Amino acid sequence: MFKLLSTSLIISLTLTLSAAETTAPKPKPKLWSLQPLTRPTVPQGLTKSDNPIDAFLAAKHKENGVTPVGPADKLTLLRRLSFDLVGLPPTPAEQDAFLADNSPDAYEKLIDRLLANEQHGVRWARHWLDVLRYADLDGLDGSVMPAAPGIHNWRDWMISALNQDLSFDKFVRAQLLGNRNSGRVLTSTGGRRSRGAANPQDQFALGFLARGAITNSNKDQNLAFAAVETISTAFMGMTVACAQCHDHRFDPITQADYYGMKSLFDPLVLRTVPLASAADIQANGDAMEAYRSKSEPLDDAIEKLTAPFHKKLFDERVSLLPPDVQAIVNKPENKRTVAEQKIFDDYYPVLRIDDGKMKEIMPKDVIAEFDALNKKRRALKRPLSLPVNVVVEEDRLKLNEPSYILTSGDPMRPEKDKPVKPSFPFKPEDVDFRDGRREGFVDWLTAKENTLFARVAINRIWGWHFGEAIHKSTSDFGMLGGRPSNQPLLDYLASEFVAHGYSMKWLHRLILTSDAYKMSSASADKSANYDADPNNTYLWHFRLKRLEAEPLWDSILSSAGNLDLTVGGRSFQAVTPDSKQSIFLPADGTFESRKNRRGIYMARGYIPSTEVMSNFLQTFDVDDGRTPCPMRAQTITAPQALYTMNGELVERASIALSEKLAKESGDDVKTAVDLAYRKALGRKPTAGELDRTLTYLGKDQANLKGLGWLLYNLDEFLFVK
Amino acid sequence: MTMGTPNKIYPCGRINRRQMMFGMANGFLGSAVGGLWAADGRIPGALLAGTPRAKSVIYLFLCGGMSHIDTFDPKDNKHAGKLMDAIGFGDNNAPMKRPVIPILRTFKNYGKSGIPVSDWFPNIGGVIDDFAVVRSMYCHQTNHFPAVIEHATGKPLRQFEHPCLGSWATYALGSANKNLPAYINIGRPSSPVQLTGGYLGSAYSATPFQAGSTPIPDLMPQKDSDAKERDRRMETLHELNKQFRDEYAAEAAITGRLKAYELAANMMMTAPAVVDFANEPQHVKDMYGIGEKPTDDFGKQLLLARRLSENGVRFIQICHAGGGNGSWDAHGDMKAHEPLCRAIDKPIAGLIADLKQRGMLESTLVVLTSEFGRTPWSQNTTGRDHNGKGFTTLLAGGGVKGGIIEGSTDEVGYKALESPHYISDLQATILQQMGLNHKKMDFPYNGRTFHLIEEGTGPIQNILA
Repeated sequence: MFKLLSTSLIISLTLTLSAAETTAPKPKPKLWSLQPLTRPTVPQGLTKSDNPIDAFLAAKHKENGVTPVGPADKLTLLRRLSFDLVGLPPTPAEQDAFLADNSPDAYEKLIDRLLANEQHGVRWARHWLDVLRYADLDGLDGSVMPAAPGIHNWRDWMISALNQDLSFDKFVRAQLLGNRNSGRVLTSTGGRRSRGAANPQDQFALGFLARGAITNSNKDQNLAFAAVETISTAFMGMTVACAQCHDHRFDPITQADYYGMKSLFDPLVLRTVPLASAADIQANGDAMEAYRSKSEPLDDAIEKLTAPFHKKLFDERVSLLPPDVQAIVNKPENKRTVAEQKIFDDYYPVLRIDDGKMKEIMPKDVIAEFDALNKKRRALKRPLSLPVNVVVEEDRLKLNEPSYILTSGDPMRPEKDKPVKPSFPFKPEDVDFRDGRREGFVDWLTAKENTLFARVAINRIWGWHFGEAIHKSTSDFGMLGGRPSNQPLLDYLASEFVAHGYSMKWLHRLILTSDAYKMSSASADKSANYDADPNNTYLWHFRLKRLEAEPLWDSILSSAGNLDLTVGGRSFQAVTPDSKQSIFLPADGTFESRKNRRGIYMARGYIPSTEVMSNFLQTFDVDDGRTPCPMRAQTITAPQALYTMNGELVERASIALSEKLAKESGDDVKTAVDLAYRKALGRKPTAGELDRTLTYLGKDQANLKGLGWLLYNLDEFLFVK
Repeated sequence: MTMGTPNKIYPCGRINRRQMMFGMANGFLGSAVGGLWAADGRIPGALLAGTPRAKSVIYLFLCGGMSHIDTFDPKDNKHAGKLMDAIGFGDNNAPMKRPVIPILRTFKNYGKSGIPVSDWFPNIGGVIDDFAVVRSMYCHQTNHFPAVIEHATGKPLRQFEHPCLGSWATYALGSANKNLPAYINIGRPSSPVQLTGGYLGSAYSATPFQAGSTPIPDLMPQKDSDAKERDRRMETLHELNKQFRDEYAAEAAITGRLKAYELAANMMMTAPAVVDFANEPQHVKDMYGIGEKPTDDFGKQLLLARRLSENGVRFIQICHAGGGNGSWDAHGDMKAHEPLCRAIDKPIAGLIADLKQRGMLESTLVVLTSEFGRTPWSQNTTGRDHNGKGFTTLLAGGGVKGGIIEGSTDEVGYKALESPHYISDLQATILQQMGLNHKKMDFPYNGRTFHLIEEGTGPIQNILA
């Protein structure tokens, strides 16, 4: 259970490698993941199950001498499925209904019901958002994430897309192009129709690319770099980012491939789109005008008052500068060359005159007037800005600028002798870039001939269902990633995924109806299996899974009846941000005030100067979205124990649960215990448990609060069997 | 507090049985439980032969950049008022002329060594014979967050989740006290990166501690709970867990849960006693300036640091005046340093004297540093700009020679001149005194290896006894 690391870490040493090492062309090794995808034949006669998954697994079981354990009981399956598909524990009513349904397809109906629940998208979006680096805030060294004000729209788009079972190719296409429709059709006369119009909501999917931009001093920094790294890891399973500084040392990816791929995104710029209605825009504009009509006269008065003092100090400082710089500073702005303006800007810290400095040379009466004006100015409240969404679009000028290799990583230092053309790793000869650079790439990426796309996708989905993927390094299908434990199964699922139109819900159904998924997680007394396969690589029992942070949060609140299940909207902050850092934080109104929403809505991200991630998220292994997180770590630590032993969340939930229990049990303690177990663990207590719990409760109803505490601290609460 | 001691918060028989089970489980759980409280170091190959000089490190970090030339690296004022070639601050690296501003401090030669210390630090002057003053430190970054990150991780850039020094050291060495975290941070840092375990895992991150009744989050039970009830709950919990734990006895995670609760309970018992100063005599509190307004906060933090060190915490980092750029960032007026110096002067001198009188200084390495120093020139103010090219770090105890000066800066204090030491040299020095080979601080992952130390000349040998 060692912390799973982003495979991008692998590139660390590249920084010290020189470009000289990168020139020799490499023979392309035979990487398994680049071999064409063909549908393997389903092994016959090895299992009673008619699900092909079980047949492929059975072949490996036989080969490795392990015997799969039997199925889990009905309530275990219900809880497993509920957490897996909607991230919530099953309610007592759902337990009753499932137990009562004795029809042969009760289990299949349950899957359908959960897949149709809108909370399914909420659960599964979190998986993909981990891989695609969702963050509410990001920035280094005073830089900010320009997309922050509307970034939750991307998350909400994804939730909706997953709920609608948007096919995986369109799911990816929309996030790369802002348009799920490919729509290119050859007409009978040999002509060519251009792409179909985008569905309006797909602009929100562009939050994925916009999120990558980190702006510092108005320089667009790493949108394109972030796009290459995230897209290649997430959808190609390749650590293309290694080639940022040199040709990939292990995989057939060159530095030219990297910068060719980067050039797909080089022309992108951010555009801020207002999301308000016409009436709101009008009203906000009017309010702004009213504000200006008051603020501008005050600004003018302040400027007039300070002008002589400003000039005196400014002239003094200019006189200290070297003569050539003085000449530049004294030129009118419109007469300065670009280079001269840069020099002028460089001297800004010297030439900036602070209020404090001016006050030092002001007479007393002027200071009083100055202070009075400033007080009035500060009293004016600027109207709140309207909601906006940030998208990316191609800039026509940038589209015509050539792209270069940037070994240094610094956009200001392109290697002009090394221009690159739009390209990408493994690009075939005949990619059609006529509709656009990204369009050409996405057509290739999502094509059924791409050997990586479906394999990487189904492997991730499998991993999220089972806790470990068929190919364990879900983000590295390269030379260092090892080999899949069951490639025929991987290839079968990948080719069927393509054949079924990339339907993720189809894939979920196939996986979830396998005997493998229904196996018990108990592994005791199976020493022969342990000897043969101690790590359960060939899946002879279901893997016990620790709940991730969000389902744990949801589970505590939900069993206490306190969870707000609203889908969509702004994130809430579980940490109170340091007000000193307000310049790096988004404006008022960016965050949600309700704090009992589902865990996916808890703000996350990385700012070096202030904590964004709550203690809860950090304690339970949530990454900050700076690098793609393929699988969550599942640590077990003492701070986690402290959190559930003494934390406020558990305290509040225990009280809420005890009140509910008292009400719903009609003050019958036995009924209360029964209900509590069903709410928290999805099953009734055993006779022994009931006995032990009743002993604890005694005659004191006040102990019902302690009952909640007990349940939230049980190992079984934190784990999915 | 050792593992066998009866637990006062949960003084039931179960606990002892569970402690025994923990003892048996110890060793193979490893990172499942997290190195936070792991007993064993995880880079055995990095252990140096012999007994380490420093059992623990108290690392004092002044956020924002203390001016070296106004404190421990005096310069005459013959260049004051002259324009000099300077490099602009932040990401503005244009060369320009800027005026050198005078040093307004008076310096006095202290102790047998006669090391000059400014009038801002009379108390540190009193113990200067215990300090090695390294005047030739440098780093590459010139703005706060990058420099703080460089300082913490030994890397000028943060392309990857590099861990900080304290995480590396405790990852390599493990914990000496199973009831307390091995790496503790006190005070608000400039950046969370100063606490991060990075790719070593969150379990190796610094545990934030604060002086006061709740040193770490969720350490104390909810206010209205009583000890008897808590005990009943723990006992019941143990019994209710039994069936599940038996069923999943083969799972390391479940064995780990047992240990996690054990350690949490031990923490609840141990940590409040460590932060409780009730038994500290008044004269000791006085040494730290506790009870005097300017020094009370920092004094308490340093006394807490001493107590943690006594309890076997390996790496105690104290961040002073952090949050954002840090209050030591005196661009406007050097006078802003004055109250900060007053806040730390007496407590630091008190810490050294206290460690000494307890015979702990020999085995406790005390480090005093900032992310960088300050420039001789100003931005046309009476304050100074950031200066990574030359600054001063102080070390005492833990096998460091006292009363010596290492290296120098140029005649205005801009660049490290003699024996320049990159910040990695400071890290290498600390590691060596802790018993670790700085060249072997490596973390392999997926066929590649990350190194903590990648630059510099290794431990600063001249200052080591």
